[in-house]
Order: sequence, then C-alpha cells, then structure tokens
Amino acid sequence: MAVIELQDVVKTFGATRALDHLDMSVVEGEVHGFLGPNGAGKSTAIRVLLGLLRTDSGTVRLLGGDPWRDAAPLHRRLAYVPGDVSLWPNLTGGEVIDVLARMRGGLDEARRSSLLERFELDPTKKARSYSKGNRQKVALVAALASRVDLYLFDEPTSGLDPLMEAEFQAAVRELREEGATVLLSSHILAEVEALADRVSIIRAGRVVQSGTLADLRHVTRTTVVAQTARPAAGIADLPGVHDLEVVDDRISMAVDSDQLEHVVAVLSGLGVRSLVAHPPTLEELFLRQYGEDVQV
Amino acid sequence: MTVSRSRSSSVTGVSHQLRLVARLDRVRLPLWVLGLGGTIAVSALAVPPLYDTPEKVAGYARVVGTSPVSHLMSGRQAGIDSLGGIVANEISQFAQLGVCLMVAFLVVRHTRAEEESGRAELLRSTVLGRHAATVAGLAYGVLAAVLIAAVTTVSMLSVGLPVAGSLTYGAGLALLGVVHTAVTLVAVQLSSTARGALGLAGAVIALGYVVRGVGAVQDNALVWASPFGWAQRMDAFGGEQWWPALLLLAATALLLAASGWLMTRRDFGGGVLAARPGRPTARRGLATPFGLSARLRRGTALGWAVGLTLLGALYGAVVPSIPELVESNPEMADVVGAAAGGEALVDAFLAYIFLFMAVVSCGFAVSAVLRLRAEEEAGRAELVLGTPVRRSAWLGATAAFTFLVTAVLTVLMGAGLAVGYALGSGDWEHLTGHVGGQVAYLPGTLVVGAVAVALHGAVPRAGALAWALLAYVAVQVMLGELLGLPDWAEAVSPYSHLAEVPRESWEAWPSLALVVVAAALTAAGIAGFRRRDIASG
Ligand SMILES: Nc1ncnc2c1ncn2[C@@H]1O[C@H](COP(=O)(O)OP(=O)(O)OP(=O)(O)O)[C@@H](O)[C@H]1O
Ligand SMILES: [Mg+2]
Repeated sequence: MAVIELQDVVKTFGATRALDHLDMSVVEGEVHGFLGPNGAGKSTAIRVLLGLLRTDSGTVRLLGGDPWRDAAPLHRRLAYVPGDVSLWPNLTGGEVIDVLARMRGGLDEARRSSLLERFELDPTKKARSYSKGNRQKVALVAALASRVDLYLFDEPTSGLDPLMEAEFQAAVRELREEGATVLLSSHILAEVEALADRVSIIRAGRVVQSGTLADLRHVTRTTVVAQTARPAAGIADLPGVHDLEVVDDRISMAVDSDQLEHVVAVLSGLGVRSLVAHPPTLEELFLRQYGEDVQV
Repeated sequence: MTVSRSRSSSVTGVSHQLRLVARLDRVRLPLWVLGLGGTIAVSALAVPPLYDTPEKVAGYARVVGTSPVSHLMSGRQAGIDSLGGIVANEISQFAQLGVCLMVAFLVVRHTRAEEESGRAELLRSTVLGRHAATVAGLAYGVLAAVLIAAVTTVSMLSVGLPVAGSLTYGAGLALLGVVHTAVTLVAVQLSSTARGALGLAGAVIALGYVVRGVGAVQDNALVWASPFGWAQRMDAFGGEQWWPALLLLAATALLLAASGWLMTRRDFGGGVLAARPGRPTARRGLATPFGLSARLRRGTALGWAVGLTLLGALYGAVVPSIPELVESNPEMADVVGAAAGGEALVDAFLAYIFLFMAVVSCGFAVSAVLRLRAEEEAGRAELVLGTPVRRSAWLGATAAFTFLVTAVLTVLMGAGLAVGYALGSGDWEHLTGHVGGQVAYLPGTLVVGAVAVALHGAVPRAGALAWALLAYVAVQVMLGELLGLPDWAEAVSPYSHLAEVPRESWEAWPSLALVVVAAALTAAGIAGFRRRDIASG
C-alpha cells in the first residue's frame, strides 16, 4: 500500500517551477531515500506532503488522506524533522521536545529519556545556547520519541557528528523494524545507501529515477579496468562502451550494465591478465544523474 | 609569513559596513524621511494660516500655552507667544518621539538584529573591526536624525519663521536623535535579542518623555532630568541658548563610551547576562497553541504591563493639579466654560490621556501578532503546523492571547492612572471611573490588533501595514486637526468612532460595532491563513 502518492504534482513560486509534474510513491514499511541536487525540490515536496504548501495541480495522497485538507488529523500519524532547525531561543531543549511531541498527540517517556541518553543531549539548556548539531538533535528526539506511522526527514543529520550519525541510522532501522515508513531526504549518500530500501532521484522538480539501489545500478554503467595480453583494438567500437582510456596494456572504461557480458567475453578473447569491475558507487550514480540529462 | 597589522584597528571596515547599510536600507531610510519628515513638514506648513493675526497668536499663548495637556505632551515651549513657538509646540510631540523611535528601530536593525540572525557573523569573519558595527550604527542614526531635523528646519524657514529659532529647533531635534542613538547602542549591548534591545531603548525614550512632561506640568527641575527637556531648553524661538546642547553631547559621549566598554566585555552574539539552565521537561500547559503563544510573549507582555502602569500612574499624578492651574488663569476658565471650570478641563485632559495611552498600547497588540511572521520565517511555524495543531488554532490562540493581554493592559493603565490620581489628591473615589474610562477605548485597540491578525493571515507580506495603520492613528492623535484630514480619512482610525470619554458620555453602539469589526477581521485572518502557503525557514 502506498503511504505517499504524488501524481503529476506542480508547484510554482511566481516564475519558479519548484515541482514540475512530479510523480512519486512511497510504500508502507519502507525507508525511501529522496535524493537530488540543491534546489531540486525535495524540501518543497516534503512541505507539500505536510500540507504547508498548496499545490497548483496534481493529486497528493498521504496516509490515505489529502494532506492539504486533512492536515491536522494526518499529522497525528507523522513526525517531521527539517534540515535547518530553528528553535524558540528562550525555551529549553526539553521543553521544545515536549511541546512538539505532545502537540503531536503524546510521547513515549521511556523512549524520550533513552533517546536523550543515546544522543547525549542536555535537555536543560536554553535553545539559544545549543550548537547547530544539538539543535538538530532536539528536533530528532522530538520526532523519534513519538510513535507514529510515517517519519518525514529533510536532511535530518546535517551537522551531526559521525557517532550521532550512526545513532541516527540505528534509530531509523528500529523504526523500520516496528513497521514505520520513512521518507529520508539527504545529501549524505552513505546514509542513504545504508538505510534506504528504495530511492527516488529528483531533478528540477521531477523524479528522474526511482527504484531499489540494485535497479538503479542496473540501468547504469559498470567501471571495468583490465590488463590484456594483446592490444585492445576494436574495444572502442563495441556497443555500450564509454570513456575508454588505454595506457600501454591497461584499459579502463565504463560499460552499460546490459552490455557487460559481451564486453567481458571480448576481453577474455584478448587474454586477460587482470580484471577489476565494480558497479557504480552511489556517488557515481548521482554525479551522473545530477550532472546530465537522463534517459531512463 | 607576517600579518599586516598596520591599518587594522577596532573600526576597520566601517566604510564597508556603512555601504552595506546604505544598500540594505535604500528604501527604508527614504521612507522614514518621507513619512516622518513629510508629516512634520505638512504640520509645520499648516500652522501659520491658523494664526494669522496677533490676536489669534495671543489667544494660543493664553490657552494652549498654559494647558496642562500641552505641557504634559509637548513640554513648555519657549516663545509660545510667537508664531515660531506655536509651530514648535504643535509639532514637538510627534517630531521628538518620531525621531527617537526611528533611530531606535534603525540602529537595532543593523546591530543586534544582524548579530542575532547570524548574518553579522559572516561579516565579522571578514576584515571588520570589533567596533565597526557600532560605529556604523552611530553614523547611521546620526544621519537619519540630521535628515529629519533638516527637513524640519527647512519647512520652518519656508513659512518665514526666524532663522535662529528654526536652526536651534532643528539642532535640538537632531541632538535628541543622536542621544537616543547612543542609548540604543547601549541597549543592544545589554540585551542578547533585538526585541529586548528595542524594548530597552523604547523604555528609556518613554521615561525621558514622561519625566519631561511631568516636570513641565509642575514647572519644576524635573525637566532637567530628561534629554527631551535639554533639547527643549535650547529655547528655540524664545531667546535661543546653546549650552543645553552640551548636555546632549556629553550624554552621547558617555553612552558611547559605555557601549564600547560593554562591547569589549561580552561575547559575540551574547548579552551581558549569562544563560541559566532551565526545566528539562515542559509544563503541561505549554504544549498547547495558547500556552506556547503565551510563553513566547510573556516577557514582552510583562514589560508592557509594567511600563504602561507606570505611564498611567505618572499621568494620573498630574491630574489633581489641573483645577489649581485653571484658577490661577481666569482666561483659561473662560475658554473651557466658566460653569464647568476645572472639571471640564480635567475631563478634556483625561479624554486625551486615555486616547493617547490606548494608542500606545496598540504597540503591544500589533507586535504580539506580527511576531507570528518572524516565527514563520524562521521555520518555527512549520514545526508546530507539522503536528496536528490546526492552523485556525495556531492563529486563533495568538489572537486570543493578544486580545486578552491588551484588555489587561488597558485595565492596568486605567488603574495606574487612578492610583496616581489618588496619591496626588488623596481622593480614592474615582478608581472605577478611571478604569472604566480607559476601558472605553479598548474596542479601538482591539480593531488595530485585529487588522494585524487579518493581514498576517491573509496577506502576510503586507503585515507591516498594521504598523502603518498604528503610525497613522498616532499621527492623528498627536497632530489632530493640524493635518486637515477629510472626514473619511479621519474615520480610518477606529478611535474616531468612539465617544471621547469622559468629556463625552459613553455610547454602547459604537463600542459594540468596533468589537464586531475586530471579530470579523480576526475571522477573516484565520480564514485566509487556512488557505495560504506557510513560509519556510
Ligand atoms: N517560498 C519560495 N519562494 C520562491 N521560490 C521557492 C520557495 N521555496 C522554494 N523555492 C524554489 O523552489 C526550488 C526548490 O527548492 P527546495 O527547497 O525544494 O530544494 P531542495 O531540493 O530542498 O534543495 P536543497 O538540497 O538545497 O535543500 C528552488 O529553486 C527554490 O529556489
Ligand atoms: Mg531542502
């Protein structure tokens, strides 16, 4: 069942088209990575899902409801963490956590205190005196301490140190075990790689690619580095070979995944001395998606 | 590698900072000059035709020149028996308060507000001295004050007033602005928030203004305890004297030294007071829209409560001396009606004070509502509205808290006035009457607050128009007939529809109508708020 369903959604701000016929869906119980370059429309999409922004056209369904019309009742079932958290400067961190979680409909006291411990957060400090990472942690604890069906995270770990980042990843895994759904927008690829079941990549307001990481890798290129006994003539003309570089007996190239078998066969005919092939790292994947127009 | 220290001092980069200020305020400053200076000029030009014969001038001197209301609001103007004195007396209240508030707003905006937002941090990471922002703030405040003063002097000269008087008046006005620029520069060191700094500077301005007024009514040395008194005692149009200017300059120098000293003693972004740890958990009531709204505004509300109660008490203390003033001035009694005598004068005085204080309290209502805008732009409205809190509840709770506190402030002003009166006269019988009199003006204040709710809800970018309405109402109250506004323009002020209690007797219908208007505006604001996008952080 789809927990989030965006169909043909358009949102403009004056002349800027932030969402341009966006289609996307997140199914129940998955951790869905949401990726895209700066200004792609990730935050806008999340704010549409929160019912904070009204779309120009298209349909949006969230937890079976309309997030614009039924915002308040739907919010009982979700928790949200923005990427750049601003807190009320004269409230303590503990107060902010309670205010947000109780407004959401209550919080799990045991979970609250264990999260405070895990994230090493002092709840008696005034929000104005927190460091950036600690402000972020306040919002995270407020969200994680509520038991809800859906968690919307918009770059939730910006400013967290590596230990806290690991703590966050553990917490998200626990959420998934409990059956919750998570939409995680992030620029930290390792985080997405570690957590996400599926990812959607968005550019200029539209989803350019969506699927499991394995799927995504499949439609992209594998890097192949080989040393051959005989000169590698003719390789350049094979279908699906890109960025070929030949230095002495060493060749490196990027091969479309569906042509890999054929290319490897040709290579072995040349007498392979060494062969390294690795699927695209997420990084390569994104550089490709962010950087150029994509044909899926 | 060596670091060049040769040209680096604590004010390095002032010129860059000033250029940035000029760029950021290339609309704002001209608007202030146009709005404040323009209103002063229009008023100054309007006076001479009204007093075109020696008899009329003498009449003004006899009546207004001895009126306690005039003394309280504008002090004792020198040369009140000449056209120059009349012009100065008519514009003083508006011009002096206007200049002081202007410099406070402008200076806080470019010092503490920048620091609080974190933008100043970016700047300070460049080649910018520790005191550069302060010096730039000083230069900017001085520039703004001098511009307003120049407009004032030129408009005085243009209606043919004496040169010496016009220049002296302008100089006094400019110096008053300069002193309060320095006051603001101290305030921004003491408070770690822009709001707090503005509150502090505003309190000093209000105190100086009230002290001068009370001193002027009682005609005693108290006027010398206030910068407003010093500026006025330069005696423009009445045998000018320049030495009080030295007091203003000396005070400025002292305040600037204090500001610089404080600056070197605090952390960037910090105030003088260190933060203490607070509660690890929230009280039960805090996690409701009303509880949170109240908590975010309670400090401000408390400040206003203390300030307005004292203001009421000071004004109340003056009232008992009014009948004596009339007895010593038979001509005055003639004007206000011999039969009624002192009592009629007291009623007219009270009616004006009630109205004036009601307008002042609008400042709380508008700022409390428009704080929502800042909340929204900082991305905190998003946090709250991301929970099941309904939009109507969020805006409605803020409106409810604002109106409730506005009502409480109104009662406190009335009570302060009553107590001040009772202490001055030993007569405790008017307590309920004075509170009731002040409450009679509450519907007008509610409408101004409700306009802010409507604007924020429906057209958030235009929220500042609520301040414009308040400024307009204030101008009308301070300059009155002088502006010669047509009836429809007068009617824009909600107070124009209310009876001038206690000079006139209270009427139920207009009050009820205004309350209905306030409710309708609030409802419209909530309806608009449910339809629009929420701004992001
Ligand atoms: N309130 C607004 N008014 C005008 N334009 C806006 C507004 N909010 C977003 N935009 C524009 O919409 C586009 C998408 O912005 P959005 O914040 O959704 O990007 P993002 O994918 O979250 O980027 P980032 O990775 O930098 O957070 C951008 O071009 C942005 O400038
Ligand atoms: Mg974003």
